[in-house]
Amino acid sequence: MSEPHAILRLESGDVAIRLGPDEHALLRSLAQQLRAIVAGAGPREVGARLFPAAYGDRDQEAEYRQMMGDSLVAERLAAVDAFTATLNNGESDGHRWAVELSPDQAAAWLSAVNDARLTLGVMLGVESEEDWQAGPDPDTPASVALFYLGWLQDDLVRELSAGFAEAPD
Amino acid sequence: MAAAAPGTIAPERVRRPTGAEQTDRDAPWVVIVWNDPVTLMSYVVFVLRKLFGYDEQTATTLMLRVHNEGKAMVASGPRERCEMHVARLHAHGLQATLARE
Repeated sequence: MSEPHAILRLESGDVAIRLGPDEHALLRSLAQQLRAIVAGAGPREVGARLFPAAYGDRDQEAEYRQMMGDSLVAERLAAVDAFTATLNNGESDGHRWAVELSPDQAAAWLSAVNDARLTLGVMLGVESEEDWQAGPDPDTPASVALFYLGWLQDDLVRELSAGFAEAPD
Repeated sequence: MAAAAPGTIAPERVRRPTGAEQTDRDAPWVVIVWNDPVTLMSYVVFVLRKLFGYDEQTATTLMLRVHNEGKAMVASGPRERCEMHVARLHAHGLQATLARE
């Protein structure tokens, strides 16, 4: 059993992350899969969730896609790439992997972790809040990953929210 | 609810033409965020604070409205501005649409 993750926002605004080796390996694997999915290689349902419609009207939606579609994909890919790059850096002593993220890199983590959760949610068919009651299914790796990413994201959100008090923007 | 919001979300001073002058272009638009069973409640609050400058309480109230009622209006104004808000919400993985008020 690896040590649990620890996430701490520093006074500088950077975010210190420590992960157990299992967690680090899981995130690297997810990052690799996520990149292909954000690039459009996933099932159509996943694409529809990652890039939802802005309009109910078909013509207006087509205009929106034409205007925003490419930049929305590019932005999400850039976040996954930044997430992957930081996962490939950092330092490990065999028991624990650690990295310090700039605010932009921390935002990229939040984006990638959220996209990974949305993707897993679609693939697992999560359709209502009640689906969470049972907790992770230990026999389904995607379910375990979804719950793990929820804890990680919640910690990230908590630490990044501390920045609002300092810079109301 | 927009009344409690500071900064970026303050309704624009849209000239409201009367009578025959009025066209669809002038009608105000609204930005709606829809409930999603996977997205964390804490993350929705975070995104609303980040994008719209809402304080924690206002963002939490809006998030709970999304959670309990299935959707909530988070901004209103001219179409172009609302469309930009929706694109930023989409960039952050939230389900958002815009529509005429």
